[in-house]
Amino acid sequence: MLNSFIPILALFQAAEGGRWAQTWQAASHPDLSKFLVIGALLFIIGVAGVLTRRNIIVIFMSIELILNAANLNFIAFSRYLTSIGNVNAVAGQIFAVFVIVVAAAEAAIGLGIVIALYRNKETIWVDEIDLLKW
Amino acid sequence: MTLSGYEALFFWIFALAAIFAGLLTVMARNAVHSALFLISSLVSVAALFVLAGAEFIAGVQILVYVGGVMVLFLFVIMLVNVGAEEKGNEEIFNNQRQVAASLIFCFLLVGGVLYAVNKGYSGLQKVNPPAETLAEQQAARDQSHAVSATKVSRITDDTQRVGASLYRYAALPFEIASVLLLVAIIGSVMLARTLKQESAADDLDPDEPKS
Repeated sequence: MLNSFIPILALFQAAEGGRWAQTWQAASHPDLSKFLVIGALLFIIGVAGVLTRRNIIVIFMSIELILNAANLNFIAFSRYLTSIGNVNAVAGQIFAVFVIVVAAAEAAIGLGIVIALYRNKETIWVDEIDLLKW
Repeated sequence: MTLSGYEALFFWIFALAAIFAGLLTVMARNAVHSALFLISSLVSVAALFVLAGAEFIAGVQILVYVGGVMVLFLFVIMLVNVGAEEKGNEEIFNNQRQVAASLIFCFLLVGGVLYAVNKGYSGLQKVNPPAETLAEQQAARDQSHAVSATKVSRITDDTQRVGASLYRYAALPFEIASVLLLVAIIGSVMLARTLKQESAADDLDPDEPKS
């Protein structure tokens, strides 16, 4: 119980080695966890875009954002495994190449579907595209 | 893999740029603005790739995403968007309850992911060898790289390693990816053609409805 309060107490400590100094130390030396946090935030922004937007093209763009966040995680882990001396660390970058390939294929097919839909339904709002709804 | 000095500064600049551009992608009213913000987000993430030592992936990201996919997006926006959004009378988000539910879901996701990353990373640090040993090993690996012409940095062999792995270790997935791209090309051509083109290909009269 007391342990959980110690960081809060340390906030008021301005001395060397205090909490601010530690935070500054962590921020001026970004490591794997910072890359993962950035990737997670981009992923969640993408999820929010998919769930809230009405424009189907913006939904596709949010999906690209999600795939890109996954790529950032792959690259960060590849770099991390290289730094601890793993010989297969380059596999993360290979995976990122395949994610980019799949994203390109997905965008081409998806935009083809959007054009076909627009030709038939004259709308790009997803809540008006309800042909399969019963 | 800690960055330091100017690398740390640029890490934070590009990380914040990527996140803000991502947020603006989701929130922009005009779809063309969304696409442009997505391009800046992708370029910032490519810069993060360079900082993480993946120069080849950064180049592929810029060439394929910014040069290919986003241009395709812009073309489709120009073809499809009738300017209903610019008039400002169309709601760009779903109805209030759906937005509220998805935002709550996203905040839960943020909390869970940040907790898991911190917890998992502190566990990972206990398993690893100490940072000094790793720094020494890194310096030893850097020594083996050739010095660049300006004598201030060393030439990385990242592209060479990625290329070698793509053709040896990942040769089969590489071939499968090429087939996937071929299928995507044919599929998008099939999907995007007009009724008239469809009838011409099937040798039918375009005025007759298909049975």
